[in-house]
Amino acid sequence: MDGLLLMVWVIRLAFLALLYIFLARVVRSLLRDLRAAAREPGASLGRLFVIESPGGDPEAGRSFDLDAITTLGRDVNNAIVVEDPFASGEHAVLTYRGRSWYVEDLGSTNGTFVNGRAVAAVAPLGFGDEVSIGQVRLRLERARPS
Amino acid sequence: MTGASRPAARVELPRILGAIRPRPRWTETRLLAIAALALILGSISLSAGLTGRLALYAPQGLAIYLVALGLAHLAQVLAGRRSDEVLLPVVGLLGGISLLLMQRLPQDLVTLELGETVLGLGEVQLVWLVLAIVVATTLGIVVRSDSWLRRYKYTWAAAGIALLLLTFVFGSDVAGQRLTLRLGPFSGQPSELLKVILVVFLAGYLSENRPLLIEQDTRLGPLRLPPLPYLAPMVAMWAIALGIVVVQRDLGAALLFYAVFLALVYAATGRLSLVVIGSILFFVGSAFMANLFDHVRARVDIWIDPFADPLGAGYQVVQSLHAFARGGLLGTGLGEGLPLVGGRLPIPEVHTDFPLAALGEELGLVGVIAILGLFFVLIERGLRIGASAADDFRAILATGLALVVGVQAFIIAGGNLKVLPLTGVTLPFISYGGSSLLVNAIVVGLLLALSDKGVEPPPPPTGVRRWRDRLRRRAA
Repeated sequence: MDGLLLMVWVIRLAFLALLYIFLARVVRSLLRDLRAAAREPGASLGRLFVIESPGGDPEAGRSFDLDAITTLGRDVNNAIVVEDPFASGEHAVLTYRGRSWYVEDLGSTNGTFVNGRAVAAVAPLGFGDEVSIGQVRLRLERARPS
Repeated sequence: MTGASRPAARVELPRILGAIRPRPRWTETRLLAIAALALILGSISLSAGLTGRLALYAPQGLAIYLVALGLAHLAQVLAGRRSDEVLLPVVGLLGGISLLLMQRLPQDLVTLELGETVLGLGEVQLVWLVLAIVVATTLGIVVRSDSWLRRYKYTWAAAGIALLLLTFVFGSDVAGQRLTLRLGPFSGQPSELLKVILVVFLAGYLSENRPLLIEQDTRLGPLRLPPLPYLAPMVAMWAIALGIVVVQRDLGAALLFYAVFLALVYAATGRLSLVVIGSILFFVGSAFMANLFDHVRARVDIWIDPFADPLGAGYQVVQSLHAFARGGLLGTGLGEGLPLVGGRLPIPEVHTDFPLAALGEELGLVGVIAILGLFFVLIERGLRIGASAADDFRAILATGLALVVGVQAFIIAGGNLKVLPLTGVTLPFISYGGSSLLVNAIVVGLLLALSDKGVEPPPPPTGVRRWRDRLRRRAA
């Protein structure tokens, strides 16, 4: 009888122990995942994905990691050079202020559009929104571990 | 231009079927193996407690459950999905613990007659658990696009409100709460489904209006608020939550909806001021309700002092506290808690409202902490999936789905432990109940789908197409 009782206790404790072993394994895999995400060089504020670019520069399908201030336009001194006949030299600037992205039109000739609406001066920009400069369409995306 | 038009036709077909390329999921395999081993040991322990023999207790049930989990794993491997590998084992372990608990409780708590065979509590729960696994896996594999959720957010909201009204009009009263909707032989609790619909709607609304909610151009004393029209949904949410309390007498659902709502507003805007205002509104409303409505006041009174009426109103909570106390650090062992006292359950409704108390008695503090830890892992996975999502809608959706399950777990766990007033919500994946299990399975399925790295990219926001056409016309 005592042997049985001992066995029962061993099994009982083993069950609890296995719950914790399971948790430990899960936590280990979560930590590995989090570390991999932290090591990612693309842990930037966001990315700009080129959806459509008839001129071929920037290439459609390319994506740019964004700094807190990223300028766009046809001039070569811009962070992202948009080679498009409808784009101005200094066309627009993307800024990350506080908690959100904003796009500012720098007095371009043909205007900057967010989701098809013209930007008057400054417009807030959410992830997934489309910015259009000339015929080039860009999408703001989260920096994503790939 | 030709290069752009040709892939469009080619893309259509594979996206429906998907190129089937099996991909091993070793993390999931290993975790499932540990979970299965734990459940087998648990079953032996249960048998030792109930019958005194070292054998598997109700081996067919456990075998069916483990095989179902294995098949779910296999299906995902064969489909070659790169989705999250931790969710299924965690949920599987919670479900397995639920199965052991339901096999252990008196079987005549719930019976289902199918012709000549009568299924007891454990068997009925097994059926629901297997269905839940099927639902979660199917959703995780089949859902490849979120546009059906994203596009129809107001339709979803309307459906949710309709469901609420239906329950109110046609629902049947069970224990003073009008929560159950009967449809022929089936009955379910629509408020369970409502919580998913709420998250879908909020994800759509918040991701679309996030920039507007961040702006603060209305001043109200020392507070700076977003433009007033955009506060309307917030006030509506508050009204709906209070309405649920008054009409349906469902404090748990109201608390859950409102807590998840505030958390999502915070996640989307990062504005603490909105959360502060929301909380103030909630506490003012709660204080008002507690004074006005007896059923709310009764709950609060029980919470503050259940021992005032230990055999009447406070009975459940007092018994629950005793169960936890009896369990101590390591518990009495599965199957060795008190099943019946004087021919009746020590805790009424133990299988739906107090499974944590039963587990606390038999597994002890150590076991309860492990179970709460599993829920924490679930929340962490959801937040992680949200953080790496491609756009705001998916991020908020994943966050909300994880929170709706996690917050519910902690509301009822708090109720069992007398940390919060007791409310009648279920403990996800552990409580008995078909609607609860199936809805939580839908949540897991959607999280699996959202975590897949191969899903369809988010669709372009509306308005873009119009603009593009205009520009093309201008160019031509």
